[in-house]
Amino acid sequence: MKYDVLVIGGGLAGLTAALRLAQAGRRVAVFSAGMSALHFSSGSIDLWGRNPDGRVEYEPFNALAGLPGLRPDHPYNRCGLETIRAALSFFRDECAREGLKLWANGSRNHFHVTALGTLKPTYFSPDTVYNDRIHQAFEQGPRVAILTFEGYRDFHPELAAASLRRHPLFQKSPVTTGRIRLPLKDETGRPVHELRSIDVGRLFDRDQAVEETAAAIRRAAPEADMVGLPAFIGLAGYARVLPRLMELTGKIIYEVPTLPPSILGLRMDQALKNRLAGQGGLLIPGDRVVGGEIRNGRLASVETQMYGPVRLAADHFILATGSFFSGGLVSRPDRMVEPVFGLEIRSEPLRTHWVGRRFFDPGSHPFLSYGVETDERLRPRMPDGRPLDNLYAAGAVLAGYDPIAEASGGGVAVATGYRAALLVLEEDGDRP
Amino acid sequence: MIELENISFDHCLKCTVCTVYCPVAKATPLFPGPKQSGPDAERLRIKNPELVDDSLKYCSNCKRCETACPSDVRIADIIQAAKWTYWRRRTRPRDFLLAHTDLMGFWGTALAGLVNRAAGAGVVRYLLDIFVKIPKERPFPKYSTSTFKRWFRDHGPDPSVHPDQAVYFHGCYVNYQNPGLGRDVVDVLAALGVGVRITNEKCCGVPLIANGYLDRARKHARHNIEGLARAADQAGGPIVTASSTCAYALMYEYPGILRQDNRAIADRIQYLTRFLAPRLADRPDVLKTPVPLKVAYHAPCHLARMGGVVDTVEVLRRIPGLDPRLLHSECCGISGTYGFKKELYPIAQDVGADLKEKILAVKPDLVVTDCETCAWQIEFLTGLRVVHPVTLLAWSVRGGASSPV
Repeated sequence: MKYDVLVIGGGLAGLTAALRLAQAGRRVAVFSAGMSALHFSSGSIDLWGRNPDGRVEYEPFNALAGLPGLRPDHPYNRCGLETIRAALSFFRDECAREGLKLWANGSRNHFHVTALGTLKPTYFSPDTVYNDRIHQAFEQGPRVAILTFEGYRDFHPELAAASLRRHPLFQKSPVTTGRIRLPLKDETGRPVHELRSIDVGRLFDRDQAVEETAAAIRRAAPEADMVGLPAFIGLAGYARVLPRLMELTGKIIYEVPTLPPSILGLRMDQALKNRLAGQGGLLIPGDRVVGGEIRNGRLASVETQMYGPVRLAADHFILATGSFFSGGLVSRPDRMVEPVFGLEIRSEPLRTHWVGRRFFDPGSHPFLSYGVETDERLRPRMPDGRPLDNLYAAGAVLAGYDPIAEASGGGVAVATGYRAALLVLEEDGDRP
Repeated sequence: MIELENISFDHCLKCTVCTVYCPVAKATPLFPGPKQSGPDAERLRIKNPELVDDSLKYCSNCKRCETACPSDVRIADIIQAAKWTYWRRRTRPRDFLLAHTDLMGFWGTALAGLVNRAAGAGVVRYLLDIFVKIPKERPFPKYSTSTFKRWFRDHGPDPSVHPDQAVYFHGCYVNYQNPGLGRDVVDVLAALGVGVRITNEKCCGVPLIANGYLDRARKHARHNIEGLARAADQAGGPIVTASSTCAYALMYEYPGILRQDNRAIADRIQYLTRFLAPRLADRPDVLKTPVPLKVAYHAPCHLARMGGVVDTVEVLRRIPGLDPRLLHSECCGISGTYGFKKELYPIAQDVGADLKEKILAVKPDLVVTDCETCAWQIEFLTGLRVVHPVTLLAWSVRGGASSPV
């Protein structure tokens, strides 16, 4: 079995790389050990939200332009500003082709509202979370209502409203809360609090009870100009249901990301995978790459957990296995490990120095910046210190950045995934 | 007492991704989903078996949850084991019939004319529906008038004329219902210089597991492990099977839920397309006749679980003239004997509705899938003809009159 490119990891970075390669006509296969961290994500793509001093950044590209001097090892510096711009625009177009519209505030950041009512600086948001209409409405100081449905355990409007009321941007906007009784029928008579967002989403996907839900929203928030709802308005059906709800209520409705499985993240996962299938890419879910065979300074093939002794060969490989959460990095009692190839992970020798003193430490946690170190061309160094010619690393497996403190995780995944694809094409002699 | 064989429930992060991809949870609110039925409830069941609840019966063991799990939790295995450890319901005669495929196959082929006619007769189906709880809507696969084993004994080609040998585990479906598929396997392997041996195999055990006959399934497992290991030693070659579910059982259900030591065969079993893919790459000339068809390919759940979809896709790609369209891998709903049970039949059909739409959207000449029960379901849902990938290969290998095109 031989592919042009084999991508290890089916998350944001791996899928972005695979899409770019499939577009260039490469035979690409993506191996994914279980579903990716997109299922736990907000569906917004952060680019650069906070500077090292903790100050919110409104102009992410200005900050990125200064990054080489500030953080020379940052993965963004392996991409370059032009590639980052191209990657973002490519990513947005690919999502749009599958009907997932991403909104950006020109080249500036905007804020999306979290389930806790904090405002998070981000670059792209699904247009059901933020869009021009919401942006303009905010100038007028709209009356905002945050609603949930009765018995839903995963979202607390009072908590969200309490934080929002303290925020300077909401000083002109009175924030109220309320509950709607979802008129959705459950044939078992199961109490509604047992439904997760995904269950509710499926009911909306079948276009059930849209009119009744609109009426319930009007009753719960008669005064509001703008209504925030937890993101449960369908996996695919939201594109029909949400505009209909707005039409019926006469209110602007936006979605708030919820606890996993996150519907906003799932929509992005679906869009990227559908697009990949449409471009002829092959996605193998549920199989974990566990090692590889190196010959003459090149990775010749890899082996997987389920595929057994047979090896999978490719001209190029992209390692996009994610961070600790996805198993791309593993913490052992005495050291950090990259489990597929045993790549070097530099970390503080003392385990107690891996973490900050507090859970929400203002100085963040050192381990968040640990990962695979690469050369200029995103090629990770093997245990002997030398890179392989045809193995590239992308996304959260990379060292040198702190996705939480910088609010940069999505952007790094998209940019380095895209950059890795370009490097593969370059290596093949293509001028992309 | 905690059984230490499968404590993977302890790796569960409670992320609920499995429930998103569970076709049964999607179809019915009666099933609380794999996370709740599996790792969540397992903790309670270990403490107190009384805490078992009968929603376990809705799990179809398709294993999509395990394919989706980012933490390697063997969710479906936990549910299957719990079903038969904690939750014993009275056995229905129907489940006995569905579970014992070799017994049914023996009588089905011996009395094929009668059985096939009876199974198609409205009044018989009506009575089966009322008294045995097999839904009258579900068509029965027809029994062959003779078994594959008998054909192989009387007409099977001599394997020793070929440089290489393989042991072929044909499974019950080929033996009793579709010996033609077994002949396709023999012909394609022969074209690649591989002679075929068979053993006195028993049912792999999957329908027995699904219906709670675990002791019998273990007996079958021991019999098959011993027979296949011996034959593979003699043949000096691998063990191949063209049924994705049989392959999964031999490789993973034996050491997993049945706890049988299969190391004597584990490394030698290959699902057929895995065995064929590299050989066809070396010998593209054996695929001499084009098969100019547009086909929709459905990847069965168990093949996806064992990472075998790449091989079948690779093999299909090599067939000259073929236009294969890969469908998004989703469960067809039948899950072996699950869709033959009246109380579960509506769920099975609801699960399959999405797949039906996707297939019809492709407007294929044929549908291709590796699993026999998926094939029954897809034929029933769409009215299209469904063939095994190796049948397409056989058409190309043999050429001429054997091809339907």
